[in-house]
Amino acid sequence: MREPSPIDTYIETLERELSFDMELSRRVRTEVEDHLSEAAAARSGPSPEAQRRAIENFGDPRDLARQYIAASLLAQVRRSGAVTVLGLIGIFVMMKARVAWYGFTQWESSQSLKMVSAIGLPIDRYAFMLALIIALIGCLYIGARRVPAEFGLAYSKEIKRCMVLCGAVAGALLVAIFIETVLTAIRLWGAGVSAAALVPTLSLAVEIAIATVLIRHVRATIRRATVAFLASP
Amino acid sequence: MLKGHLDMIVLAALSGGPAHGYGVIQEIHRRSGGAFELPEGTIYPALHRLEKNGLLSSRWTIAESGRKRRVYTITRRGRQALANHRAIWQRFADAIGGLFGEKRHARA
Repeated sequence: MREPSPIDTYIETLERELSFDMELSRRVRTEVEDHLSEAAAARSGPSPEAQRRAIENFGDPRDLARQYIAASLLAQVRRSGAVTVLGLIGIFVMMKARVAWYGFTQWESSQSLKMVSAIGLPIDRYAFMLALIIALIGCLYIGARRVPAEFGLAYSKEIKRCMVLCGAVAGALLVAIFIETVLTAIRLWGAGVSAAALVPTLSLAVEIAIATVLIRHVRATIRRATVAFLASP
Repeated sequence: MLKGHLDMIVLAALSGGPAHGYGVIQEIHRRSGGAFELPEGTIYPALHRLEKNGLLSSRWTIAESGRKRRVYTITRRGRQALANHRAIWQRFADAIGGLFGEKRHARA
């Protein structure tokens, strides 16, 4: 096995330092590899000494990685915001489709369902509306952010606020979907197994899947952001 | 001081046409007569940040060496931002020139 060149070692360190954003890490790796190879070749060819001098001029990989944190965090929060909005739209469509199906099949509500719905439906509606309002505020807030040249305390607070908004939307959605699940389960339980039950079952399954993806995405963003915050100056 | 003006320097270097990171550094070196000595790596987070803020766009190309290369182009917003930076800089330079007793530049 050949010994790693100075450029290889440098790139590996840089990749490790950028582990808070794998997509960015891959992009930076390709760019920096090209830069260092070109810089070394411009000096005296790809000799280890030329590579070392190119690296020296390039700067410390830890400092370099830290300079990417601000842009990376905003990009991740924006992605989470977009996923949240798409998730909300998907869940709203599924909810409406189920209600339309009940109307189309003239599905009768049982007495127990009516009782639970009297309490559950308003909570469901308000939780979804709350998620929608927070998502809209979040979109405006995230959209208005710009990447600063320096990762400062004010920017760190802005990013944390964005993540809190994403988390609040996910939380409100969880409440709405939990109630939807309970109400749909009571309805299906009373109706027994039938072809008509397929649409509400499928729509609820899609809703739960969307919510799972959304929550996992928000959690992953918070985890990556935490790593980035720890690496920040 | 140089760090605070890095965005303007990068935008100015790219105002002549698209370039990759190494090309931007060469252009800065050429235009400044080698006056700016900054760690070359500093340019990449700046390019990335400017792209995220919509002032640059970029695409992958294949270099003669066969390696993948990211080429950056200044956008319309980037040109506008550069014009604003230039105007602010000119006012600042005029003011300092005035303080040093130099003759002020004629303004169009």
